Amino acid sequence: MDLSILEALEREKVLEVLQRDKLLRSLEDERIRKMKLELQEIRRKGAKSFARQYSERTCARCQRPLGKFWNCGAVCQGCSHRICNKCRIVISAHEWKCTVCHAFREVKIKSGDWFLEERSKKFPGGAERHETVGEKLLKSYQRLSHISIVPPTPPPFSEGPSFSRSGGLQTSRPFTKSMENLFVSLTSHMKKVSKSQNDVAVVDRALLTADYGKISTKERRSQSDTAINRPFGLTKAPSLPDLFKRPKSEDEEGAGTSEAYTDEDVSPNTEYHEEKRGSISSLCTELGIFTCNNSVTGEIELALGYSIKTSCLEISIRACRNLAYGDPKRKKCHPYVKVYLLPDKSPNRKLKTAVKRNTTDPVFNETLEYQIDGAWLVGRVLQASVWHAGTLKRKVFLGEVLLPLESWDFEHSTTQSTKWHLLCPRVTAPEGPEGGAGEIHHCELMIKAKFTSSPPQLPKAADHQREETHMGQLSILITGANNLAILRSSGSLNSFVKGCLALPSGVELTQKTQVQRRRSGPDWGHRLLFTAVPEASLKGSSLELGLWDHAPFGLPPRPLGRAKLEGAWSLQKLLQTPNMWLEFSLPFHPSANGKKM
Amino acid sequence: MFCAVSTMTDGDYDYLIKLLALGDSGVGKTTFLYRYTDNKFNPKFITTVGIDFREKRVVYTATNSNGTTGKTFKVHLQLWDTAGQERFRSLTTAFFRDAMGFLLMFDLTSQQSFLNVRNWMSQLQANAYCENPDIVLVGNKADLADQREVQEKQAKELADKYGIPYFETSAATGSEVDKAVITLLDLVMKRMEQCVDKPAQEAPNGDGASKLEAPPPSEKKCAC
Ligand SMILES: Nc1nc2c(ncn2[C@@H]2O[C@H](COP(=O)(O)OP(=O)(O)OP(=O)(O)O)[C@@H](O)[C@H]2O)c(=O)[nH]1
Ligand SMILES: [Mg+2]
Ligand SMILES: [Zn+2]
Ligand SMILES: [Zn+2]
Repeated sequence: MDLSILEALEREKVLEVLQRDKLLRSLEDERIRKMKLELQEIRRKGAKSFARQYSERTCARCQRPLGKFWNCGAVCQGCSHRICNKCRIVISAHEWKCTVCHAFREVKIKSGDWFLEERSKKFPGGAERHETVGEKLLKSYQRLSHISIVPPTPPPFSEGPSFSRSGGLQTSRPFTKSMENLFVSLTSHMKKVSKSQNDVAVVDRALLTADYGKISTKERRSQSDTAINRPFGLTKAPSLPDLFKRPKSEDEEGAGTSEAYTDEDVSPNTEYHEEKRGSISSLCTELGIFTCNNSVTGEIELALGYSIKTSCLEISIRACRNLAYGDPKRKKCHPYVKVYLLPDKSPNRKLKTAVKRNTTDPVFNETLEYQIDGAWLVGRVLQASVWHAGTLKRKVFLGEVLLPLESWDFEHSTTQSTKWHLLCPRVTAPEGPEGGAGEIHHCELMIKAKFTSSPPQLPKAADHQREETHMGQLSILITGANNLAILRSSGSLNSFVKGCLALPSGVELTQKTQVQRRRSGPDWGHRLLFTAVPEASLKGSSLELGLWDHAPFGLPPRPLGRAKLEGAWSLQKLLQTPNMWLEFSLPFHPSANGKKM
Repeated sequence: MFCAVSTMTDGDYDYLIKLLALGDSGVGKTTFLYRYTDNKFNPKFITTVGIDFREKRVVYTATNSNGTTGKTFKVHLQLWDTAGQERFRSLTTAFFRDAMGFLLMFDLTSQQSFLNVRNWMSQLQANAYCENPDIVLVGNKADLADQREVQEKQAKELADKYGIPYFETSAATGSEVDKAVITLLDLVMKRMEQCVDKPAQEAPNGDGASKLEAPPPSEKKCAC
């Protein structure tokens, strides 16, 4: 019996097994994909929205209000959010999880992620860590068999002695010598082959974002083809188990590039791709705000603290969990966190954590600091975005949280307990002609405010209470709005502002500005004046500003959105510096019906 | 050769559990799995080439902490069969890393196959997904009582030493075959729960077996 024939048959047999495995795997991948989509749905339904994120007194999952004394909810051990009775899943007598945490757990088990996680503890790192052995073998086989069917023209160079030019039979020797040799030789090719596949994979992703990716795909493919031809000459091959014991090699390359990259704000075609994808896939370009729903999953754990003494804002980034893969094809994720204090997006005000490699549950435990005067914190939004540091300087957006700093009571505590925040898809506005590519467009209303104490009035002998009530004037100047798409898209905007100052006593003072014809540039001059504001109660007041579009022909005015100036800290600042204009940029929430043009 | 049951080609299952049979050539791995999936016995010895797998769907009923039966789940089992022959060793051991649980088999009528259990154990420790994976020790061919070379007591002691369950099975009669697989499945199902519920540091199924703690990841600071 011809030995070589027998072993060719053996190879066929194993290949058939690997093909069957592939069928099962594709079934499984599809099942997992569906499962994760469902999870996404659950997650979205039970996510506190940006606007409501910090109202403690609602259930984090169903948003139903919680009482102060009864039905006051309880904190979920998993996500630290306050959860009502209905949104809990009881595990045992004294253990429960919120619906979202429970779903996360289920998916982790049912998708087999638990296994991959466990394994990565023993075999850390490694680009191929999620690929099964069968998958790898099959891929390399297919590549090689393709080549052996259509023999390439003699390679321009031969690297090893096993490849001799003496004859065609010799050429195929490595494949038929013996079963084991076959696999050994395969493994030597695997790395090269999988590398070239990776290159293609990266470009395929780029295809999603822009058409011109196609050209480079072709280039890449031909490149990788030549890369496959080469391993023919390789003789020294690692044994199969060796290959899995040293999973690092390719990844270390990646580590090199990710540390070498300079800055995504400097290299224009990194983040840009991600932004672009969102705008292409969305039809809602006239909307003031839209989200690009690429696969954002997971949560981030962080804590904030501000020291008034040192004017230092501390953002401690603890960890993330259940992140989406930055590179779903290869199931890779090298996450890091980037922080901005919006609206300031200048590159030198950006802070980043270290990149954690090959994990969707990174632990950072890093504290990022901003030296910033307390007055400038007001109206700022902390943006913590999670990115995947891919190869070739590619960054992939994994999600972000926006935390209005207004809601932190910096005055009363220097550090805040850590909290898990759900990562959200990016909130962006369409790119205007003047908007820089890849810039984030958070809407905000720019205002100036001034409190003026009224000249001390002569006390009326009969009225003792009056004596203690110092009255003052609150002047508000609305100077403009940032990134308000409505302002760009509609031809003429005749805006006016309604202001409502709610005093702690329950009294509401309302004022309205004149209608202003649209001006070019953000130099509005809407002016509001609240007189007779009791000085003592300003601290507990809140000022809501509504921006309206005055409609012609006696039609009702159209609401454009609203912003709020509130919080003891910012209002007290006004009291402390009377007669001085203080600037605030307030998060602006466009009205839902503002899109109807 | 493999009749794919049509109902098994859909994704309507809750878990895909991958188990793997290993052990010397001829101990009956292929025959055992065939008995489990198809409830048939093949007396012919056709040595396995490299690797193979069989599938079966089972319904798993979880047991609650208070001992009552809980929810039922559909489990799709992928049962990997490996070649016992030495020349396939590098291939077969590579497949260990993708399996969630192991059926370590020896032949009750072959002392040598039993002695080799130790070697298979160390192969598992090196190649499986974790240091102490779920394993069931299986002494097969229990029906050949007159040819028995390995005593139950001996095997039981070894299993106890490793802290794993032991079963004496017969692929020929089908005795204890299901029980061995279900026991392993049960261990894996429990392991999954423990893995997601326990904090990262704790080793699941901690039975005293010392597990090397991974050193804290080196903090690589980004240059910028
Ligand atoms: N009497 C009896 N024979 C068995 C039993 N199990 C397996 N055999 C026989 O033992 C021989 C070897 O069985 P296989 O299942 O092919 O052995 P294997 O472990 O798969 O061997 P490799 O594939 O070479 O690793 C076959 O002839 C089987 O019929 C059993 O429980 N009782
Ligand atoms: Mg066999
Ligand atoms: Zn609720
Ligand atoms: Zn929760």
